[in-house]
Amino acid sequence: MFSLLKVEGNSLEPIVLEGDFVIASKIPFLIRPVRAGDLIVFQHVLYKTMIKQVERYEPETGDIYVTGTHSGSIDSRIFGPIRMRDVVGKVIWHIQRNPKKRV
Amino acid sequence: MFHELLSKIDQTLGIRHARAHCDIPCGIYDPHQAQVAALTVIRMIDLMNDLSNSQKMETLDYHNSMSRYIAVKEEHAELVKREVRVIFGDYMKKEQVDKYPELPTLVHHILQLGSKCRQTTSRDAALELLGKVNRFAEIFWETKGIPTKKVKAPYKPGEEIVYPLL
Repeated sequence: MFSLLKVEGNSLEPIVLEGDFVIASKIPFLIRPVRAGDLIVFQHVLYKTMIKQVERYEPETGDIYVTGTHSGSIDSRIFGPIRMRDVVGKVIWHIQRNPKKRV
Repeated sequence: MFHELLSKIDQTLGIRHARAHCDIPCGIYDPHQAQVAALTVIRMIDLMNDLSNSQKMETLDYHNSMSRYIAVKEEHAELVKREVRVIFGDYMKKEQVDKYPELPTLVHHILQLGSKCRQTTSRDAALELLGKVNRFAEIFWETKGIPTKKVKAPYKPGEEIVYPLL
C-alpha cells in the first residue's frame, strides 16, 4: 500500500535530490487518475525502480509518458511510455535530505 | 529529523532505491584509461622523434610510420580529455568539488594540455599532461577512501603513474 524509497540520481533536480526519501502509494489513484506533474515511482524492465515526473497520461491505452527535469534524464524520450500497471505509486510524502539549505 | 531517522534505518536495514538517473547507471569509473592514454601520448612523441632522427623523410615507410604515430597521438590525447570529462562531469559531485577546490582548474588544465598535445609535439606538454592526470587519479581514489602509490610504468616511456592500493 505504501512504499518507502531512497532517491538515487539527479534527474529530478531541484524538485527531488539524490539522497532524499519518498513515500509512494497507489491510494491517490483511487480518488483521481494520474495526471501531468505527478511524481511517480514505477518499475522498468531495464532500469528497475525509477522515479520520474508525469508528462502526460493517455487513459485509453494506459500509457504514461514520464520525464525528468534534467536535460540528460533517462525517461520516456529514451524508453517510451510506461504502463499504469508498472506504477508503484504516486509520491505522497517527500523527505528532503537537507531542507534548510534549499532555496 | 525524519531524514536522519530514515538514513539510520537505511544504513542498518537498507531501503529500496528509486532511480532518477541522467545516464545509464553503470557506476563504472576509473581514471586508468586516461593515465594510459597520457602515457601513450608521450610514447608517440618519443617514437616520432626517433623516426625523424633515423629515416630519410622522403621514404614511403617514413610517412607511413609517422602518420600512424600522429593518428595514435591525436586519438589518445582526445581520449584523456574524454575520460577526465566523464569522471569530472558524471562521478564527481558538489561535495567532492567543495572538498578538492583545485579540481575545476585541474580539469581545465588537463583539457587544455590534451589539446596542446594534439597541436604540438612537445614532450614537456605531454609530461605535464600525465602529471595532471595522475593528480586527478589521486583525488579520484581519495574520494573513494582508497590510498594510492606512485610507480614507474613497467613499459616505455617508463614514466611515473598513480595506482590504487586495492
